[in-house]
Amino acid sequence: MKRWAYGVAAVAILAAAGFMVYNAMSSSLVYFILPSEYAANPHDYDGRRLRLGGLVQPGSIVFDNEDLRLTFHVTDSIESYFVRHQGTPPDMFQENTGVVIEGRFEDGVFVSDNLLVRHSEVYQAPEEGEPVDLEALKDSLY
Amino acid sequence: MNDLLTLSTLGGGALYIALALAVYAFLSGLIGAARRDARLQTSARLAAVAAFLAVTVGIVVMEVALLTDDFSVEYVAQQSRIDSPTWVKVVTLWAALEGSILLWGWLLAGYTALLAITAPNTVLRPWALVVMQGVLIFFLGTTIFAANPFTHLPNPPLDGPGPNALLQNHWMMAVHPVLMYLGFVGLTVPFAYAMAALITRLPGQAWMTQTRRWTLTGWGFLTAAIIAGGWWSYEVLGWGGYWAWDPVENVSFLPWLTATAFIHSVQVQERRRMLKGWNLLLVTLTFALTILGTFLTRSGIVSSVHAFGDGPVGPIFLAFFILVLLFSFGLIALRWDQVRDRAELDDPVSREGSILLANILFLALAFAVLLGTIFPLIVEAITGDKVTVGAPFFDQVSVPVFLIIFLLMGIGPLLPWRKAQEQTLLRNLAWMAGTGLLFALVAFLFGVNRVYPLLTIAVAGWNIASLALLIHGAIAPRLKLTNRSAVQVFRQYAFESRRRFGSMIVHFGIIVIALGVTGASGYRIDAQMRFDYNVPVHFQGYDLIARDGYREEVPGRVTIGAIVDVERNGTYVTTLRPRINSFGQSQMDAPTPDVLYRPMHDLYLSLAGDVLPGQEFVVLRVVQSPLVSWIWIGGLIAVIGTVWALLPRPGRQRQRVTAAKGVARAHD
Repeated sequence: MKRWAYGVAAVAILAAAGFMVYNAMSSSLVYFILPSEYAANPHDYDGRRLRLGGLVQPGSIVFDNEDLRLTFHVTDSIESYFVRHQGTPPDMFQENTGVVIEGRFEDGVFVSDNLLVRHSEVYQAPEEGEPVDLEALKDSLY
Repeated sequence: MNDLLTLSTLGGGALYIALALAVYAFLSGLIGAARRDARLQTSARLAAVAAFLAVTVGIVVMEVALLTDDFSVEYVAQQSRIDSPTWVKVVTLWAALEGSILLWGWLLAGYTALLAITAPNTVLRPWALVVMQGVLIFFLGTTIFAANPFTHLPNPPLDGPGPNALLQNHWMMAVHPVLMYLGFVGLTVPFAYAMAALITRLPGQAWMTQTRRWTLTGWGFLTAAIIAGGWWSYEVLGWGGYWAWDPVENVSFLPWLTATAFIHSVQVQERRRMLKGWNLLLVTLTFALTILGTFLTRSGIVSSVHAFGDGPVGPIFLAFFILVLLFSFGLIALRWDQVRDRAELDDPVSREGSILLANILFLALAFAVLLGTIFPLIVEAITGDKVTVGAPFFDQVSVPVFLIIFLLMGIGPLLPWRKAQEQTLLRNLAWMAGTGLLFALVAFLFGVNRVYPLLTIAVAGWNIASLALLIHGAIAPRLKLTNRSAVQVFRQYAFESRRRFGSMIVHFGIIVIALGVTGASGYRIDAQMRFDYNVPVHFQGYDLIARDGYREEVPGRVTIGAIVDVERNGTYVTTLRPRINSFGQSQMDAPTPDVLYRPMHDLYLSLAGDVLPGQEFVVLRVVQSPLVSWIWIGGLIAVIGTVWALLPRPGRQRQRVTAAKGVARAHD
């Protein structure tokens, strides 16, 4: 009888714990995607926190040193999105560098609160007219 | 000739000799233990000491190579730099993978030698030494064949890049990794004795009582290492936090969770002869998790800010991890008939019941943290998606679990073994719940209005009451029997019941840490602000006035910094100098925030942009974290408590003498 009660209690605790872990996991999973992947299924990521990877589009960097607001376009050469980041540009942040930004899409604008510069020797930007190797880009940023 | 006698050959040779000695100690120990041959066992113990000396030679050679800038040693060429300060050169030994494993091996060899010399001569000792030698062979073998720091470079460079910028930027780097390895290695000893107990078919509690000090020492080092690591990230990473649920942090936390469960559950076996199998499981998991952690963080398969990168070492550690699990669980299965518990839990409301429940929670939390750490690997293997598990997952899982553990931490020590008396229990609970409510109420009046912080504060009150009740319960009956003062009786209790009183100090430290974490995570204010020179900026009751920026170049280091005066209510408090250091040719910059440490909250300034000549402003990250220094203080208290529990009782010597007198008298 006692063993029975312990067994039931154990199953109940395990079920509660499993449910808690599952819940926490599904709300804290942050997908790492490229702009073109977002463009393909934007509704999959509604309201979700994302890590968006790509290159800083040349000529798009604007930094307002009064409000400390940085804006630029992030691109994987197929799609490009406007990024708004509160804060100073990190060291080595420049045109065509690989970046990973963390935040959310709000009305088509990516609002970032964390900006990381990724240097990689692996990924070579394609020559004019050549197709982009998205897989290689993604691997080099991850 | 010159090529034959280099530091590379000397150090590499010492390691080969050490490996040969370890293999000899393993084999002679094995045969000696199996045949109960005392001479072979002694020979194995001497070989263990010799192996330690040989690894020591390797360590000394590596230090000489680092200090004399001998770049013909590959590790020195890759990790050191001529114009680094001397202390940086010394600690460069553990700044990268090869050196770290060498250091780990050296500490392991040291513990093994110490065990060989000082451990009491029991049936378990020879087998435990064999297991220790087995682990040592793995570390030395990995050092020599997969991560050799002594590889010789025929064409040495003139200078090296120096260690990772983050590592040479703070003296804590000299302390934190050593503490961590001392913890890991210390927890290898109870594992070795547990295996010895299974091999010799003596799975009683002898293996635990003989290793109690080692276990507690290992736990104390691991605790200190984790807290020190948190303080290190606070001081050098520049984001004002101390714990980010980074894989490296997680894998040091995993063995801490299982080790903490273990140091509690051993008491159940000592007192009630229960949980034999459970204790063996915990000690095995603790040891295995230290190995798994090295695999996860050093193989490059989990991305992490501290990862040392790819290499053959990852798979080797994975293989060893699997081997350890197969060996120990195989042994447990083989001896299952002896390991099985005969006794049963009388009542869940008892000391053992509370320890058991807390144990399950510790293990469940360890599982959840492990799951969160490796979940990205699982997802990528199944769906190909790249994901990270955010810090919210770990917070959501660990905070409620810890709250329940803290509840148990308060009530458990007040419960008697076997079965609680209802009346005393209710009286204690009333005191504790009352104090908890009072704490929460006061906090609420001071403006704390969120659920988890309020619960944590309530649980802190609950535990403070519990500690008071425990001390009262221990002192009151003694006071009745003597006419000495309460202070004298308390002193006597604290010195005589070291284990029990030490555990109270540790529990108190944990509560202080919990409050610090609550304040620092729940009420942190973090902002990036622009500071025009000589224009005060108001922040959380402070006026911050940036006076100037500067740039300083010394050989091997370039520093940019800002000079910021801190005022409160119009009076000058201090001047902070947040800086960014860059070392040598290293690409990476090391933020060097400056912190105003205060008991109730820290003011943390970190440079967030360049300082250029002619630029009349600086951008700073300004962080205010309430109670964050309580985490370091609480850690210190916990370590003091551990040391208190480990120190020998002052009365023990006297007891032995009286026992001897008793024997002498009996002979008369």
